[in-house]
Amino acid sequence: MAQNTLEELEPNFKLSPEICITSADAKACDIEVTLQWDSVTNKTICIISDYKDLKKWCGSSPDIHSLTVNISANRDIQFVMIDKDTHETIAGVKLKITPASPPQVRRRYRNPWSLF
Amino acid sequence: MPYLLALLLSLSLFSGATFADAPASCDNNTDCIEVGRWDLGIALGYGQKSNPLKDFEDIPLYVVPTIAYYGESWFFDNGNLGYTLAEGENYTVNLITTFSNDSAFFHRWDPSNIFLLNTGNSQAAIAPMASSLSRLTPDERTIGELENRNFTYLGGAEAFIYTRFGIVHASLAHDILDVHGGLESKLKWFYNIPLDKWNFEFAAVLDWKSEEVVDYYYGIRPSESLYWNQVYQAESALNKSLEFTGQYVLTENWNLLFVARYTDIGDAIAESPLLDKDYTTTYFVSAAYRF
Repeated sequence: MAQNTLEELEPNFKLSPEICITSADAKACDIEVTLQWDSVTNKTICIISDYKDLKKWCGSSPDIHSLTVNISANRDIQFVMIDKDTHETIAGVKLKITPASPPQVRRRYRNPWSLF
Repeated sequence: MPYLLALLLSLSLFSGATFADAPASCDNNTDCIEVGRWDLGIALGYGQKSNPLKDFEDIPLYVVPTIAYYGESWFFDNGNLGYTLAEGENYTVNLITTFSNDSAFFHRWDPSNIFLLNTGNSQAAIAPMASSLSRLTPDERTIGELENRNFTYLGGAEAFIYTRFGIVHASLAHDILDVHGGLESKLKWFYNIPLDKWNFEFAAVLDWKSEEVVDYYYGIRPSESLYWNQVYQAESALNKSLEFTGQYVLTENWNLLFVARYTDIGDAIAESPLLDKDYTTTYFVSAAYRF
């Protein structure tokens, strides 16, 4: 009983993948992500985010447990799951956008065109 | 050795100045390289390296490659192998191998001449003096066919001091293949002036060679001439050079390249009967491609 209460308090809200690494050339990250949540909440869910193309999405019934979104972003995106009826915040996940590390460089000690 | 004292004094004078860190991206910079990536390039053009040896022809330059790879500490740069012992904002200390440039005057395929193609006469850089002298009446001053003056690798240490007035490079290296058993030391100051798409580098070089080096390359062996073997006594020598390298960035990969060098050959070498000039010059104008 105590375990069920805990699960209701902390619903399983997952994002896959959680990190996107931008290439050195392309500044933005283009990726398809899937949001998934379990059924124990038995609630109709809405997803809100700070991503420009997904301000708010709402499921049509409690039986829907996932959402797939195509993302093109250059900064982190926060997804928040809320109860469609009460607007209560249930859980949140973040997609991390990480730029590729710039190549490591060091001093060159010889002029490449020094003949001899 | 007064020269080495002067070298150390010069280093201490410059050690207090500052130098900017290596940039995050190298682009067309010549003083920066990406770690773990081969840097390959080729320059196609025309130039010439004059040969101060009597009866030896100048060496034409058409193609010059550049090959370098830098790891975290190890590096390979156009034939030089090195290991960085210490590096700070203002200084670098490396263990290095390098090669002598004196053998280049005697051997066409010396690394210093590599890819520098000849025009027609394949004997240009190796024509023995005997070929022109053997027809003369034998004379005690006549120098016979030259024995080999072999290429060798030098191993030692070098230091760079980065200052607002340019970069000071000092090195000391010993023959590690026991070809002549000599020592070479170099003190170089160079200064870069980036100007829009241009980059100009000016350098002044003092190049000291021990008596063993001078004797091996420019001394006369008894089999070549007993007379000159007695008359010419090799001593350590100091060559002085001025260098200019100009680059103009055409595209991301293509540069125009202008190289000029003048070397005043030290008296102890210039007095050798093998030489008829006390200087050597190099120039090279080309289009350079970096892969």
